Amino acid sequence: MTHTLHRSGTEESLRGDFVFLFMTAKGYNTADSGPKFKKFFEIAKKNNAVNMGDASFGNQFTKGFDNILGNIKKDYMTAVHAVFDNEEDAARMLKDVKEADMGLSLVVSGIFDRVKGMCQNHGIHRHAATYSLGIWGKTEKLPPDEVLNVITMCGHGMISAARVNAMADEVRAGRKSAEDAAKELASQCDCGIFNPSRAAKLLAAMAK
Amino acid sequence: MKIDPELCIACEACIVYCPMGAISMQDDVAAVDQDECVECGICLRSGSCPVDAFVEEKLPWPRQIRAEFSNPLVPHHSTGGGGRGTEEVKTNEVTGRLKPGWLALAVEFGRPVTGARFRDVDTVAQALAKVGVTFEPENPVTALMADPKTGKMRDDIMNEKALSAIIECVFPREKAPEVLKTLQEAVKKIDTVCSVDLADLVQPDESVAAEKMLDEMGIFHRINGKNNVGLGRPRYKGGD
Repeated sequence: MTHTLHRSGTEESLRGDFVFLFMTAKGYNTADSGPKFKKFFEIAKKNNAVNMGDASFGNQFTKGFDNILGNIKKDYMTAVHAVFDNEEDAARMLKDVKEADMGLSLVVSGIFDRVKGMCQNHGIHRHAATYSLGIWGKTEKLPPDEVLNVITMCGHGMISAARVNAMADEVRAGRKSAEDAAKELASQCDCGIFNPSRAAKLLAAMAK
Repeated sequence: MKIDPELCIACEACIVYCPMGAISMQDDVAAVDQDECVECGICLRSGSCPVDAFVEEKLPWPRQIRAEFSNPLVPHHSTGGGGRGTEEVKTNEVTGRLKPGWLALAVEFGRPVTGARFRDVDTVAQALAKVGVTFEPENPVTALMADPKTGKMRDDIMNEKALSAIIECVFPREKAPEVLKTLQEAVKKIDTVCSVDLADLVQPDESVAAEKMLDEMGIFHRINGKNNVGLGRPRYKGGD
């Protein structure tokens, strides 16, 4: 699973894109994990997460926050996610999760320098880093960067290039706001790692 | 996935949802190109069809692997897990899978947008095997290899297509230049794209040796990536 990696875009755009992944390690710490996942979601909501989801169940736009919490079992093996559109909220999230001391693994995806700085500010030593080396092979088959920057926010590829172009057309024609179009796209990313706040800005730029 | 031609009202609403572009109008009704369809189920889950014309059938072998690799809500028959890969380094502070002095490489075929046939996975896996990488045993692509030592995929799945499929492997750090150069050559022979990533442990001074190595080799890496911030417990033996 590399679904929170390989998000493309400019540095300015990526400054508003932080994904938190919180998960159990199979065979090690699944017992009584349910309350920890619920706590994670409550902390994320308090810190203004713009999207949340459970990889085994669905995202907030299709399932709703209460149903995501209600689906969590006592001993639950999954990966859950929360997305933040600014560094301040992401930094508070990191601090709060650390202080909650729940013992599950946390992976933060974002600009390395920014995440590293957040960790240092809260006395956290990162364990491992995963680098995206970009896209190799027949890259001539890819759509333009403006489309890639939107669809790479769903790591399982649930959002088609055609759908992104259609949403940009809707925004351009004034039939949808960029924000509503972005939320529609977010609903297709089951894990809840799509960033609707950033997508709205990208769609608005495409629609110009 | 199929569309019942008797139910389809030709509204064309479903067409834009397909990430493979496999839905088109045929004889005035929407139809799914079965060779291009990766069984991701996005069309069905989108709720775009006003007359419920999608037909999701139980998939025979080997077509079932299309859904296992393309629909994150369908678990793999081989590993029992969902998604395409493993926990890899996301839980490494607990599992200790990636050891000091080793690097972890993931090659995700078909991502973004293009999808991939397993014959392309086979081409690259065999090339990587020749330079001595160790394929992740719990990865569902590894489970479909006829021989994980050679990277040869099963013959009966070669033409199957997935939204994406990931090779995960590890190798000693000193092998990295040879592995990455081999990968650069191997991808020239495939008919799709792949997203590539490299994972390493963070040193006590917060540096990452792999980053320096990539810069020295002139290999591009994005400014953003994943950070396992090390909050999981219990720590693996020797992981403190």
